[in-house]
This record gives sequence, structure tokens and C-alpha cells, in this order.
Amino acid sequence: MAPRELDRQIVAGVGVVFAIGLVYLLALQGDRALPVFWVLGVAFGFVVQRSRFCFVAGFRDLFLLHQGRMMRGILAGLAVATVGFAMIMATVVPNPGTDVLPTDAHVLPLGVATIAGGLMFGVGMVLAGGCVSGTLYRMGEGYVGSWVALGGVMVGLYALNRTWNWWWEVSIAADPFIWLPTDLGYTGAIVLTLGLLGLALLAVGWWEKRSPYAGFTIPITQRSAAAEPEQQPNDLVKLYRAVVQTEWSPITGGVLLALVNVLLFIRYRPLGVVGEISRWSSDIADSAGAGVGTLKGIDGLAGCVARVTEGTWFTDAFMLNAGIIVGALAAALLSREFKLRVPRQPRRYAQSLGGGVVMGYGAGLGLGCTIGAFFSAIPSLALNGWIYAASLAAGAYLGVVLIRRIQ
Amino acid sequence: MAETDADVPTLDVRGEICPYPMLRTNRELDEEQPDIPRLYVVTDHPPALSTIPPEAMKRGYGCEIEELTPGEWRIHIFKGD
Repeated sequence: MAPRELDRQIVAGVGVVFAIGLVYLLALQGDRALPVFWVLGVAFGFVVQRSRFCFVAGFRDLFLLHQGRMMRGILAGLAVATVGFAMIMATVVPNPGTDVLPTDAHVLPLGVATIAGGLMFGVGMVLAGGCVSGTLYRMGEGYVGSWVALGGVMVGLYALNRTWNWWWEVSIAADPFIWLPTDLGYTGAIVLTLGLLGLALLAVGWWEKRSPYAGFTIPITQRSAAAEPEQQPNDLVKLYRAVVQTEWSPITGGVLLALVNVLLFIRYRPLGVVGEISRWSSDIADSAGAGVGTLKGIDGLAGCVARVTEGTWFTDAFMLNAGIIVGALAAALLSREFKLRVPRQPRRYAQSLGGGVVMGYGAGLGLGCTIGAFFSAIPSLALNGWIYAASLAAGAYLGVVLIRRIQ
Repeated sequence: MAETDADVPTLDVRGEICPYPMLRTNRELDEEQPDIPRLYVVTDHPPALSTIPPEAMKRGYGCEIEELTPGEWRIHIFKGD
């Protein structure tokens, strides 16, 4: 093992960190929002890469392995974000119950589209091996299949946008917005949300006990580093290894992601990644002369809808998504985990593409992905977040049935 | 390069992403080569480092992870010890 080869990734990682700083300085010249979205996007990418945070694993491993390690991290993040979001919303709408909704919170129309979108997203994400945000950060880690999956997501979003007006007429236009504080007040809504999260945690524990391997606790595996000429590492090296090169737990990941989400909502809006990808797909289609035309009702919706841009590609949402990719790239290099990963079986490309298309259509229909319609919606104290979550779980179950057949 | 025991069969799951590295290892241990005393699994998918060892340990194996190159690992699965 040549030590030089090992160091090359860290050197490249430091280079990427400098580039991130440079982009930050450039972003300061533009709209005020740009540097904020950039930094929080990078933080998002860094956290999910280091904690290997994966919404797909959260749902899939419950069904595949009776294992809730990742779901616990997701639940912890939801609980933290719920408290943070409630404090922000209480400053925007001090008196709920007057049918006023907090602007920008992910309170979305609740109806057939929520359920159909969640189901499709659940199936697609298991097939593609990553949700939309997962696909973004794996792109930064060097997964070729994830680039294919993103293409699929864009195709799926294009198909949804072409059929959006039909969905709007049939259902979405008349669907209610159900924000829990309207009837329950903030205290009631927070208690109910945290209570449901607690119940979900108990259910995960109960479900794990039903595993054929119940009672088995996951031990920490011994890990030997690649053989390298080892001098006594100094304190700085030890700290670097402990913080950057050690895998963070899913709970650490979930809580840090929730903090990123709260910080973004304090200044602007909750996290969401799909609206921007939808814009990419529409813009590309537009320049190919196959635009999607006017989408009905989009202006009145929060959440992950494509935002109209004023002649520039570099919007705040673009900075967020690009930040996720670049943040994950930096984290992968600094922890020496970057590698160009090429699927060896051709059918995996079909799986990434097909899963991506189904997931993209579902994300457009459900007005968000595992981030926007779930991780940002439940803390918005919105009922649509819970319905979407249940649909995601059902979809993931179907996805597991399918994936067991595709070897 | 760490020492390699030529007698130990290797399952190469590089290029595969979740859940396939783990599913293919389980299939190896359960169906293809039940009661195999030792097995190497080579993977380039970091999450597999947290999914394969617990699954192997449930089946009574011990595990050790060894880094081969940046972004590539070999999981040593063994009976006993």
C-alpha cells in the first residue's frame, strides 16, 4: 500500500474545501440567499456522507431485516426539527386556529396525490437504491448509478409535469390543507407529533423483537486500517480521525440534519430538493422545444414545486442541491472513501433509471421527496407528512418484494 | 497489502449498492456455501460495512474489516475465535 495514494484523497479533499470557500465568496456577490443555501447544502452533504444517512435504508431495512437502526436516526431528527419548526412557526403565526397557515412551512394539499406520490416514491427509491437526496450525495461519492438515477428522476418529473394539470383538476385543487395547530393549538400539535414519533420508536423496537435473530445486539466490528507506516499519531491527527474518518451514528446524522433544516427555515424555508430538479427537467425540455407549459395552481403551493426563475440558473435552490453533491464529495475524499463506482451488471443501470423515473413521478405528485414531503413536513405539524410517511412505508414494502426477485 | 489467504474463497460485490452486497453475502452463507469456515467479501460500498458484519454475526460468524485501497474494503468472515 503506497502511502502517497492514501494521502492523495485527503489533499484533493482539502482542495475541494478551498473551492467550497471560493464559491461562498463568489456567492456573496449575488443574492443574499445564495451563500446561506450553499453553506447549508454543503453541511447537508457532509453530514449524510459521514453518517451514511439513508432514508431508503430507514424504511427498507425494517422489512428486509427487521432492523430499525437507521429509522431511529430519522425519528430522532424529526423530533428535533419538530421543536425547532414549531418555534419558528409560532413567530409567523402566533394565533393558529384562524385558518391562517405559516408561509413556507410544508403544509401541503392532502389527498389521493399524497398517497399515490408516497407509494410511487417508496417503490422507486428501493429499486434505485437511494432517494432523491441520497442520489445527490452518492453522485458526489462517485456512484455512476446515481447519475443514471438522477436522469431517471428528471424524466419522471417531466412526465408528472406533463400530467400535472390532470391531477390538479381531478383532485389536488380541492384537497384540504390540514395543519394540526389549527384545531389543536401549538401545544396540542407538538404533543401529538412527539407522541406519534415516540409510538413509532416503540413500534420499531417491537418489530425488531419479532426478528428471527431477536436479542442479538449489533457489536462493533473491529476495523483494521490499511497497512501504513504508523508513527505515533499526534493529537491533531487523532482528532481528525475521530471526527472526520469515523462513521457517525444515524442518530448523530439525523439530529444534525434537523439542525440544518431548522437553520434554513429560520431565514428562508424548510429543506427540499425536488422542486429544483423539476425546474432543471422543465428548463431542459423547454430548450428542446417540448416545454411543459403552465402548471395550474403551482403558485399557491409551498413545498417542492418548481420555482420560476428570472433568467438565471444559479438560484438559491440550485446552490443547495449543488452544495449537497460537493459537500458529500469533500466528506468522501477527506475520509478516503471516494471511488468511481461502476455497476458491473447492466441490469443495475435499468434498475437505477426505472427506479428514478417512478421516484421522480411520485416526488412531483406528492410535492416532495423524503426530505420535502416527509422530513420537512412532519415537523411543519402538517398531517400530509404523516400520510406521505405511511405511503412511503407501504411503497418501500412493495419495493422490497420486488427487489428480492431481482438478483 | 495485508496478507491474503489464498485458500479462502472471495465474494466480489464491488459495484453493487445496498441491499445487494448484504443480500449476496447472506445467500453465500445460507445457501451457496453453508457452514463455510471462512469467507472474504470485497466491497466498495461503505454502507455495506455496517450491514454485512451484523448479518454474518447473527449467523455465528466473527468479522473483521480491512481496508484494501481508499474506497475499497475486504470483510473477513470467519467461524470460531
